[in-house]
Amino acid sequence: MLAAAPDYILLTGPLFYSSLPLWITVLPMLAGIGIYFLKDHWESARKGCALVASLIALVGVILLFPLSLEGAVGYDLIDFMEMGLFFEVDLIGWIFAFLITFVWFLATIFSFAYMDLEHNRRRYYSFLTFTLGATVGVVMAGDFFTLFLFFELMTISSFVLVIHQQDTASMKAGILYLYLGIFGGLSLLFAILMLYSASGSVDIFPALELLEGQRTAIFIFFLIGFGIKAGIVPLHIWLPQAHPVAPSPASALLSGIMIKTGAYGILRVSLVLFSSTEELSALYSSYLFIIGNVVMWIGIVTMLAGATMALLQTNMKRILAYSSVSQMGYIVTGVGIAAFLGIEGGMGFAGSIYHIINHAFFKAGLFMMVGTIYIYTHELELPRLGGMLKKMPLVAVTFIIAAFGIAGIPGFNGYPSKTLIHDAMLIAIKDYGFLSVDLAEKIFVLTSALTVCYFIKLFRGVFLGPVPEKLNRDYKLPFSVNAVLAGFALIITAIGIFPNLILERILVPAAERLNYEGYAMDHLYHFHFFEWLPLQAMLIVIILAALIYIPAAYRGWFAWKPPWWLSIYALIYQPVTHRLMDVTCRAGVMVDSSIDSAYDRSGSAARTWCEYIGSFDKSLDNFYDKSGKAASKLAERSSDMDSKIDGFYEKSGKAARKLADRSTDMDSALNEAYRKTGETAKKLVEKTSDAESRLDSVYDKAGKKAREEMDKRLSDKREKTKSFDPAKWTTKNLSFDTLLLVLVLGVVLLVIFYFGRSL
Amino acid sequence: MSQSTVIAILISIVGLPILMTPVIMYSCRVSEKLRNALSVVTSAIVFGLTCSLYPFVIGGGEIQYTLFEVLPNLEISLRLDILSFCLAILAAFVWFLCTVYSLDYMAKEHACGRYYPVLIFTLGSCQGIFFAGDLFSLFVFFELMSLIAYILVIHEETEEALKAGYKYLVMTIIGGLALFFGIIIIFELGGTVSLGVGVIIEEVSALAFIAFICFLIGFGMKAGMFPLHVWLPDAHPVAPSPASALLSGIMLKTGAYGLIRVIFYIFSPDLMKSGGWDVVLSVLAVITILLGSAVALTQNDIKRRLAYSSISQLGYVLLGLSVLNSNAVIGAVFHIFSHAFMKSVLFLAAGAIIWKTGKRQVDDLKGIGMQMPVTMGCFSLAAFAMIGIPPLNGFLSKWTLALGALDANMVVFVLILLISSLLNALYYLPIIIPAFFEMPGASRLNDHEHQELKFDIREATPAMLSVMIILALCTIIFGLTPNNAAFYLSRLTAEYLLMGGF
Repeated sequence: MLAAAPDYILLTGPLFYSSLPLWITVLPMLAGIGIYFLKDHWESARKGCALVASLIALVGVILLFPLSLEGAVGYDLIDFMEMGLFFEVDLIGWIFAFLITFVWFLATIFSFAYMDLEHNRRRYYSFLTFTLGATVGVVMAGDFFTLFLFFELMTISSFVLVIHQQDTASMKAGILYLYLGIFGGLSLLFAILMLYSASGSVDIFPALELLEGQRTAIFIFFLIGFGIKAGIVPLHIWLPQAHPVAPSPASALLSGIMIKTGAYGILRVSLVLFSSTEELSALYSSYLFIIGNVVMWIGIVTMLAGATMALLQTNMKRILAYSSVSQMGYIVTGVGIAAFLGIEGGMGFAGSIYHIINHAFFKAGLFMMVGTIYIYTHELELPRLGGMLKKMPLVAVTFIIAAFGIAGIPGFNGYPSKTLIHDAMLIAIKDYGFLSVDLAEKIFVLTSALTVCYFIKLFRGVFLGPVPEKLNRDYKLPFSVNAVLAGFALIITAIGIFPNLILERILVPAAERLNYEGYAMDHLYHFHFFEWLPLQAMLIVIILAALIYIPAAYRGWFAWKPPWWLSIYALIYQPVTHRLMDVTCRAGVMVDSSIDSAYDRSGSAARTWCEYIGSFDKSLDNFYDKSGKAASKLAERSSDMDSKIDGFYEKSGKAARKLADRSTDMDSALNEAYRKTGETAKKLVEKTSDAESRLDSVYDKAGKKAREEMDKRLSDKREKTKSFDPAKWTTKNLSFDTLLLVLVLGVVLLVIFYFGRSL
Repeated sequence: MSQSTVIAILISIVGLPILMTPVIMYSCRVSEKLRNALSVVTSAIVFGLTCSLYPFVIGGGEIQYTLFEVLPNLEISLRLDILSFCLAILAAFVWFLCTVYSLDYMAKEHACGRYYPVLIFTLGSCQGIFFAGDLFSLFVFFELMSLIAYILVIHEETEEALKAGYKYLVMTIIGGLALFFGIIIIFELGGTVSLGVGVIIEEVSALAFIAFICFLIGFGMKAGMFPLHVWLPDAHPVAPSPASALLSGIMLKTGAYGLIRVIFYIFSPDLMKSGGWDVVLSVLAVITILLGSAVALTQNDIKRRLAYSSISQLGYVLLGLSVLNSNAVIGAVFHIFSHAFMKSVLFLAAGAIIWKTGKRQVDDLKGIGMQMPVTMGCFSLAAFAMIGIPPLNGFLSKWTLALGALDANMVVFVLILLISSLLNALYYLPIIIPAFFEMPGASRLNDHEHQELKFDIREATPAMLSVMIILALCTIIFGLTPNNAAFYLSRLTAEYLLMGGF
């Protein structure tokens, strides 16, 4: 959609054309499909393929860095569907793409050791690699259509990773994930369609003034679509179910990386799409203020709810999953603040991007650490674990580092990003003096304290205390696992110790792209993280955490299990979805069957009518029948009379016969007289015939001789003309060839006649 | 290509299958192989001949040719334009593939001597509908096809099939009579029923509206429009699977085709709008979409579920026709293509499963993907297209339809489309997910129990598989590539219909 891009797109740098983004997305996808067709026992080929694919993607993204720092890398594939595929990697997109490919690379290495102990490896590697391509595609997309395409592909292919275990829990979680994912995708599609119809383009560009009346609806549908993936409350319900059931490297990617695509979407929509050029921004500042506030509060609620729920869990991976919800709250809060501060929003923007980076590292790391423990002990429940500090010291050390990172301890990576978001809040309070932000800041501090609490709980449960009997054996971790975990710990500390490196090199240029300026940006250039003010805030958090944790752990408050009916799932989702499904199905079936029965009934009514007509017909028939019978009776009577007359005739006939008898008597007497005269005449004749017969025999002999001679001659003649039999010359016996002959003859004759005539 | 050649081709496309019917019928006395070969060859020739019209049609060619007059002004005539070409080539293509599929599928079945001639005859009459040059000849072919297809519906001769067939027959006759009545009214009003004279009815009148309703009943019945869809969910599942694929994939489209002809050639889009008649169509279409999807959710028989899904998908086409702007018409025509491919794959795959395993309840299909991976793969692809996952053709048609609806400022229609997509997901995914990710027979695994999934391949025959694969590839190709034949034709058709040329 490059051609349709308006001029005022906020590109401060040039657009470089390169097909590299296309290959970064397509290559892993093709590799993923290819891996599935490798033979079962080619284990190392499969691993190699997955590793190489992720490595190529990583290298490709790194190669894009200089160009995207200067401007953006774009690639337009017009020959794709009707809308064309458009990639555009600017600095924001690059940060995400790098994060994705880098963590994916580490997770792939981690998978090798982890998955050796699991089943269905072929499917796992195949879909792992495929999902990489789809996920990178989401953040490298240059327009919403391309984004949506990869978003859907990612949802579907990651579903297979979620249900890898195929037990009851994972199937349930996976199906919830998929349905919510598709629901989110459709609401995204709706938003994109509305955007397209309002602005005539699906590009990601400041379009606030073009959207007019539909902007709120568009924003809400975008928020639902991306929010489901990002796990914001109350759309997060799939997340704590789906992340724990997946294999640990996949959970690390789901929690560390894939939910970031949701955050990425929210960020793009609220900071890019819903912004406008400088002159116009004043017009919309009040609208943006509301939008920003809404987003911020969604973030605040998400962060608090996630942290509270995490505190109440006993399953390690569930704690981490809820923690992800809570951390996404931080990110969304940062985006919200950036949105309502307008031009001054640089701090919030930088904070949320920074937190995205940090969260990816520590959450992916934490899931892999927990996964390492799980795969060797097959235990996820805190009460049944303990003492792992002695058994897996390296995991314990890296875990502490990652936990420090997420808790925001200075010197580890969570600290700078949380500080930036907190500072953005302080700027907002200073600028607006607004109660809403004031309250939000308090909740922010409280949530940070809760975060510390649940990590103390998690650490105590897993690593401290006595080792359970069942798990008391020696564990030997392969090198690759150790290396990956140590790598995460290293990155976390490195960012924590040199927080300004990423800030100045990457985040400030990225913020400049969005035209942020003013106090916040000046402040950002040389942010002093290790000053008293931010450190003091962190100290407050730690003290608050201690104040909460000690009495709560003592009284056992963390063991409280919220009743089922209190969960959002039971309160909202289940009734709503069940009702909706019930209503749809029932209404549909009712209408359908009632139409069917209406036809049936009208049919049977028609049949009844036909029966009525039939009975009328029958009565008519009966009438004829009866009249017929009457007629026949009449006829019988007349035949009686007839017989009487007959009798009368018979009697008169008898009298006549007697008369005749007498006359025959006379006749026979006459006859006798005639016979006698006749006999004398016959005797006379016999005498004469005797003489005649003698004569006859003489003639006969002569005739016989003559006939024999004649016969002989005839038979001679017959032999000569044997085939000729005139009796057989009928058309019935004409053979085909004679017919043909005749026809040909006829035709020839005709031709001759015809030409003869013309001559 | 000269006019006379085109006319000769047209006549042979329609006539050849009809002439070949008795030949095929008698050839089975000689040998079954000859019969099968003749059927395949006939459908292949029809497909080839239809393809050969492509350059003529793309060049803007248009032909109206009268064969003979039955009565003054009432004639049997042929017409070729881009719209008829679109549907004819689609029909010929799917028909050919389904005939090939039938060879293996029907080998186990009884009464093949009846099946093949009827299959080929319906092909001829179906092409006749698409190439009919006036409403009267359209009606003749329409009735021929509908009535002969009855034999396909009742092929199994079970009580269920006969009952469904009876319902089908009654509805067909009602539809045919309504159609005939409509044609008579149009003949009375306009003095002609030819499709070659442009718009026949130019102003709104009560009689014209009655004619419109009659057409709506006649063609809507065939297209499975609410409330005339009742025969469809009974008749489609009981037919043999290749026949169901054709019934759902192609023969339903004759109804949609008839409506397009009526809307653009008898009436006009402007007339429809000024009379408010499009509202009738759109309301019915919306109800059809939602009803079909909602009822499909509750069906446990896989073919019945597919049949209800067909109802809802034809609703999309009707919705596109009711919006009547460029994007919507492109979307409607393209959805005719998309749905033909998607639904044929679904029915053929379901047929292959039934043929191989005898299972037709959705609950029994657990783990079928491990037994028949290719079949289920094609099924999944088509189902994803139905849901509207991007690179597939279903998405493209939904996208275009939605754009059309938004152009007309009907946001509600977009919501309806998306709700229907969600419902599609809700009734297709419960087939696909257990098929690939659950064990056949056994209940779900307990927590933390490991089980290696093993392929246990017992696939359908190569011919059946290749047919399904070709059609499944069509769902990808016609979505993924821009300016693909189907979309190109749809766009040309929309331009032709709305602007009278391209």
